[in-house]
Amino acid sequence: MPQPIYLDHAATTPVRPEVVDAMTPFFGPRFGNPSSAHRWGREARVALDEARERLARCLGANTDEICFTSGGTESDNLAILGAWRALRATKVAVVTTPIEHKAVLAAAHQVAREGGEERIVDVDRGGIVIPGSFDLAVDNRVAICSVMWVNNEIGVLQDIPKLASIARERGALFHTDAVQAFGKVTIDASSIPFDALSISGHKLGAPKGVGAMYLRRGTPLEPLMHGGMQDRGRRPGTENVAMAVGLARAAELALAEREAEGARLARLRNRLEEALLSRIPDALVHGRNAPRAPHILNISVPGTDSESLLMALDMQGVACSAGSACQSGNLTPSHVLTAIGVRHDLATAAIRMSFGSLSAEEDVDRVAQLFPALIVKARRLAGATL
Amino acid sequence: MPSQPIPGTPSGRPRVLVAMSGGVDSSVAAALLHEQGYDVIGATMKLFCYGDTVPDRPCCSLDSIDDARRVCQRLGIPHYVLNLEAPFSHDVVDDFVSEYARGRTPIPCVRCNTFTKFRDLVRRADGFDAGFVATGHYARVIDGALHRGRDPAKDQSYFLWGIDRAALRRLLLPVGGLTKAETRDVARSLGLDVVSEKVESQDICFVPDGDHVKVIRARLGDDAPALARGPILHVDGRQVGVHDGYARYTIGQRRGLPGGFDEPLFVVEIRPADRAVIVGPRERLLGHGLVARELNWLGSAPTLGTLVTVQARHRARAVEAEVVRMGTEELELALQEPLSAIAPGQSMVLYAGERVVGGGVIERAAGPRASLPVRAA
Repeated sequence: MPQPIYLDHAATTPVRPEVVDAMTPFFGPRFGNPSSAHRWGREARVALDEARERLARCLGANTDEICFTSGGTESDNLAILGAWRALRATKVAVVTTPIEHKAVLAAAHQVAREGGEERIVDVDRGGIVIPGSFDLAVDNRVAICSVMWVNNEIGVLQDIPKLASIARERGALFHTDAVQAFGKVTIDASSIPFDALSISGHKLGAPKGVGAMYLRRGTPLEPLMHGGMQDRGRRPGTENVAMAVGLARAAELALAEREAEGARLARLRNRLEEALLSRIPDALVHGRNAPRAPHILNISVPGTDSESLLMALDMQGVACSAGSACQSGNLTPSHVLTAIGVRHDLATAAIRMSFGSLSAEEDVDRVAQLFPALIVKARRLAGATL
Repeated sequence: MPSQPIPGTPSGRPRVLVAMSGGVDSSVAAALLHEQGYDVIGATMKLFCYGDTVPDRPCCSLDSIDDARRVCQRLGIPHYVLNLEAPFSHDVVDDFVSEYARGRTPIPCVRCNTFTKFRDLVRRADGFDAGFVATGHYARVIDGALHRGRDPAKDQSYFLWGIDRAALRRLLLPVGGLTKAETRDVARSLGLDVVSEKVESQDICFVPDGDHVKVIRARLGDDAPALARGPILHVDGRQVGVHDGYARYTIGQRRGLPGGFDEPLFVVEIRPADRAVIVGPRERLLGHGLVARELNWLGSAPTLGTLVTVQARHRARAVEAEVVRMGTEELELALQEPLSAIAPGQSMVLYAGERVVGGGVIERAAGPRASLPVRAA
């Protein structure tokens, strides 16, 4: 078996050694509970406050606007359900798009189950929200809008500054799932009028199980959990100091490297994309004509299927995924690809390759060699079973 | 392990795709092949989905997929989930439902072996460049011929008569030479704690709680004739009761019939045309012959007048029979001794000693032979 190649950074990333180092003391000598009045407690409180400050700085935010959570899913749910429940007496609707992460879509469905109204705006064939459709959906009955900054399956980039401004004009709150956007695009709460934003640690070199929600000062929110007054009551429960420290460190590192790393990943992605398109002329790259984040390549080849291709790639040591990391054996085509009008047979053939810290030029060149050969074989076998 | 490496297999070792249900038999099959030096790939077939309606099932649920994955992890072999829901639904579940609708008693496991495992899975094996396919069935391939498993209590050869004979040369059945107890011993000795003490599933995997009516209702709707009220008629012509759908009955069944008769009554016939379930005394269940269709031969087909051993139900005793009519579509056997409750839709499997000759789907029981075999002109 040759050296394995990891092309699934949009699913998760390895924890960076610097992050492990930053976290380690909090599993050992600095174990205190930040709410305790004694020296152990004070020490933990200082570390937590510092982490919050540093993460706030990464987002152009005030310290009190950062709420640590267990990850992207919790942040999305807390922002959407929390804000809607706080406002439901006067504003019943939520607005979102058909290409959101399941955490956002499921939260919006929950709003509908609780008697609210779920409005889904249209996206074009590139996956970009159609401004007219958004414009039409956002009126004074809308509590909160949620639009994903960078799509996790196809990488397309929404015009968040513009959409957030429209929402603000209409008196609606605006949330963005920035789980794939952080470290890839400029996120500045002081100049872009979003009210809430979600990030996830394990997409940027922090462990799984930690994330954060940005919540602009004064934004109404009903917490999902009830308990103590930690995190201003927004997220009760003893704070996970080590994880908060790790997330802050990872965010700082990602931000410091953003431009150089973004350019490097774009080069790798484009190199592979061009190689594959030239060797497989009928391949289709989803979102290719839309603005895209640099780290995601989603490709479908007619006459193949994702399940078989992923296994064949894995047998060659190449790790990718079909759309998002899905439940075992789920063959339903991606809701994202379906929403942007991709044909069923192409949607069930999609392979997502996502680049990051582990990606190197040699990997790209090996995949560029190997992938077309697997396609030839997959098509031959598919033809044989017809 | 074959002495010669198979040319063209990437590792230089023969590669085998093992169908792993997450149970002890297929786990041990994978473990034994791995020990014997095969390049083993584990695959769990996802065949159906209950959705949210049924919590957990011993087979084919995601928990079972997780168990298979853990066994593979322990063995250090790759594991994949193969989604075969669409073809399984078409080849196995649709047929299951339509057979009940026709008043027959299907065996979905036979069709799953024929189509899902030994056709679709074999095709998937090609995608993995795997020369062999293995399962945890209690049956044996000896010199290219399918035989009963060594453990008579566990023998599953009855379910395998329909497979493509070309698949036999690629088929490995590592537990076929073991008893169930030995299989569990192997599992324990290899530390496969995840599966070694697992309770065996006796139900049909896609039928929740053993209630096949649920599946029929889900496919055909509440108003399907097979689930509608109909008469229970005695063989002497009297109506002795009503039933709530003939699909709830099978030949030989006693449960769900009216009592209060001099002798116990059994279902002897199901007649979809007037939705009637016909009942009669035990002796009316005896068949002296049978007619079968959808024939498949794993060796050379028997000829007219051949004496064979036939088994007409799983775990039923096999009896001697003579081929009295033989066509490409249909075969008729005269039984040397009568068999009870020959049910249309079940399989009849012909054996020569331990070897499976082939089989077919029972069309109907036939009367005792009236005369000498009719030889084709």
